[in-house]
Amino acid sequence: MQQQNDISKLRNIGISAHIDSGKTTLTERILYYTGRIHAIHEVRGKDEVGATMDSMELERERGITIASAATHCVWGENHINIIDTPGHVDFTIEVERALRVLDGAVLILCGVAGVQSQSMTVDRQMKRYRVPRIAFINKLDRSGADPVKVTTQLREKLGHNAVLIQLPIGLEAEHEGVVDLVTMKAIYFEGASGDEPVEREIPADMQDAAATAREEMLDAVSMFSDELMEAILEENVTEEMIHEAIRAGTLSMDLTPVFLGSAYKNKGVQPLLDAVTRYLPSPTDVKNMAVDLANDEAELEVVSDPEKPMVSLAFKLEDTRYGQLTYLRVYQGTIGKGDTIFNSRTKKKVKVGRLIRMHADEMEDIERSTVGDIVALFGVDCASGDTFTDGKSDVAMSSMHVPEAVISLSITPKDQKAADNMGKALGRFVREDPTFRAAVDPESNETVISGMGELHLEVYVERMKREYSCEVETGQPQVAYRETVTRKVDFNYTHKKQSGGSGQYGRVAGFVEPILEAEEGPQDFQFVSQIRGGSIPTEYIPAVEKGFRECLPKGRLIGFPVQGLKITINDGQSHSVDSSEMAFSAAARGAFRKFYPEAKPQILEPIMKLEVEGPSEFQGAILKTIMQRRGQVIGSTEEDGFSRVESEVPLSEMFGYATDLRSMTQGKAEFSMEFAKYAPAPAEVQKELKEKYKSKIPDEEE
Amino acid sequence: MYRKFVNARSPMRLLEKGLHGGLGLGNVGALIAGHGVGKTPFLVGVGMDELLRGGTVLHVALDQTVSHVKDFYDTVFTEFVTHTHLENAQRTQIEIDHRRRIRIYPARSFNVDRLSEAVQLETETGARPTVILLDGLEASGVDPETLKGIQELSVGLAAETWFTIQAENERIEGLPAPWASLWEHLHVILALEPEGDVVHFRALKDHDNPDLQALHVGLDPRTLLLVRS
Repeated sequence: MQQQNDISKLRNIGISAHIDSGKTTLTERILYYTGRIHAIHEVRGKDEVGATMDSMELERERGITIASAATHCVWGENHINIIDTPGHVDFTIEVERALRVLDGAVLILCGVAGVQSQSMTVDRQMKRYRVPRIAFINKLDRSGADPVKVTTQLREKLGHNAVLIQLPIGLEAEHEGVVDLVTMKAIYFEGASGDEPVEREIPADMQDAAATAREEMLDAVSMFSDELMEAILEENVTEEMIHEAIRAGTLSMDLTPVFLGSAYKNKGVQPLLDAVTRYLPSPTDVKNMAVDLANDEAELEVVSDPEKPMVSLAFKLEDTRYGQLTYLRVYQGTIGKGDTIFNSRTKKKVKVGRLIRMHADEMEDIERSTVGDIVALFGVDCASGDTFTDGKSDVAMSSMHVPEAVISLSITPKDQKAADNMGKALGRFVREDPTFRAAVDPESNETVISGMGELHLEVYVERMKREYSCEVETGQPQVAYRETVTRKVDFNYTHKKQSGGSGQYGRVAGFVEPILEAEEGPQDFQFVSQIRGGSIPTEYIPAVEKGFRECLPKGRLIGFPVQGLKITINDGQSHSVDSSEMAFSAAARGAFRKFYPEAKPQILEPIMKLEVEGPSEFQGAILKTIMQRRGQVIGSTEEDGFSRVESEVPLSEMFGYATDLRSMTQGKAEFSMEFAKYAPAPAEVQKELKEKYKSKIPDEEE
Repeated sequence: MYRKFVNARSPMRLLEKGLHGGLGLGNVGALIAGHGVGKTPFLVGVGMDELLRGGTVLHVALDQTVSHVKDFYDTVFTEFVTHTHLENAQRTQIEIDHRRRIRIYPARSFNVDRLSEAVQLETETGARPTVILLDGLEASGVDPETLKGIQELSVGLAAETWFTIQAENERIEGLPAPWASLWEHLHVILALEPEGDVVHFRALKDHDNPDLQALHVGLDPRTLLLVRS
């Protein structure tokens, strides 16, 4: 594989979409047409090989992509790094990470189902990371395919300025190819696997429609080029002018060019690759920011310049049989085999032993990689999200948004072999996926894993079994509740101990109150000292704060973390001999124990935003599944025989929802779910939780 | 302030007084206003008042998104809490949100049948509306036949139904020409017109009462709250 040197000819793209829109199938075609693989294997294919990007056995079996697999290919003079991202919402951290390191994306939409709930989630994420995208309406060979309807949905549901750059030649079983509205040629895909795109004249019966569609396309894209606008008036439009205008609109995210085809039937993929290289940005087109650790974390831009000091981000880790594989995006400078690089977080030096370019689960050794590229390192000990530099600068790439875990599950190894392997497996998963956590509960001594949803944890349990021969028994899923206070109360507590030797003395007084989210935004804890005149000596005030903070991880209602409270201290007393940091921390803990029940604590439960989509005739059934789960229906949208119901449902009620929904709707509805907020649990739920907690811990703790 | 005091002091009480008891169960009312004057805030204000009094609201919006309408309610509620110092605001919001349903349709496919299906579904799932709000209805076309259908639904539910009509100008002379034939079928017709810092409501039709009273109610364009004026 040739080394790519011209950064402007590099594309780092993600392929994101709703589950089952055909993104793995599309990626497989891309790899085939770019010569990276020599045969096409289908997802859940009859040849039992599975698609190349579904590198994990489990993915092949379930027919969905779980972990992103990075791969590299060459199209013409352009180098393309592709991250195939998962489609299920439980794995959105993978999507988010991919978007963080990518410069552009292809949004795949099903030509029949159109814009679905997951497409909306992915689109929101793309907006957050300002990722320019082009759209590919897939599955035009399927019954009911309607690319015009899907383009309208892109405009209406996602707010895109979506513009068709192609027209389909035939739909459903008669889908033969596409009309390119820029060149005004028909493109057919000949050869056994559609390898040979052939340009012909537009079919006579489509000429009028193509002329009208081109006019509409020119009208929309000319908004991004004065030159094109003038040329339209003077009737001397060139293809180059149109390409430039589309590129300008795409880069500014004010335009989404729409391409068509059927990846499964090998149609439309090569023009899409042309579009990726023409319209999506190269690393030089994108502004990337880092924080300067040497300058109080001031924001600074990392420049796509190979001559500058190297800065790169480890965005994904994978444990392979040869050791840990670390995926890196190089943001500045170059990195080569044998270089010594520095981890900005640990400040440790690391030697680059092997530099790899990944192709799903195959790898290619390279000598050097330059700015903008995505490569992998072997045997480097680091965590996902770490920044590497060449030691000449002390910067870190800005942190990624990592959501809080909302569900946990206790796991117990079934035998000694499993127990031996469990730590290894968990260690790897935790390093790879920041939304997956593992810890040992000090009370029950059980290992507890937590993550973003039922399926998220199920997949890791399954992977432990398959990849580490580690079979575990799982407990009931546990919801990550929180506790908070609801009213303001004063406190005045003296900690006094005199039992031989030096005594302990500290008095703290003040008040605790709930943090009003509407006024101050969501915050876990605030500590304010209004101590004047030294009633508590300044050197002991941090100890007071520390004492309060020590009480937060375990609330006294049901043992879950306490959040949303503000503690103000305004008085206290010290003793010249018996006061110490330890005494004041103990006083704060004592005060907390005393005021907490008086401040009317309550239990908060995680509420999920649930979107269910299905044929309108099942809307009643969908609403019932939500109502039965203490859900709050926010609203519903009905369009073209489909309904989308938006609601908020407590996570604790969502276990087994997929099965129930399937049976209530004959499998025709689907849902996506993400964490929305914490909200007070109803009184009866609080009562039940408190009783359960009390039965577990009969004696009141100190 | 406690909710019952907030409800008693609501500008909606003043509006009801000015309309000799309000719109009335089973009746249909329309608000006419120019573009951007405050049609949606009026509907949200009516909805919020009903929710705070324990009613159930079906808010239908055409060519909108659920989140847009929800955000409107959330914004107005936040302002409302700030201005009234409502006690237990968080709990109140959770409670009233449970009794509000938002339904979105493309204007091209909305009709009385859709509304009727929606009402039936909401009723079956425990949210039988006591107030129906129709935002953007004019985009789907309103004729006397449609209005008759809406009215029958309102009577069947014993609900009040409000919808809005957009006028060309800020100063409202009467029902805009395309809707003139609806006059006799509507029980209440209000105009919303800007004047200085506040926009004022004016009754154009109050059931069969010949003496139209001053309403002394306006809309604060800054907070989008209904206010006494």
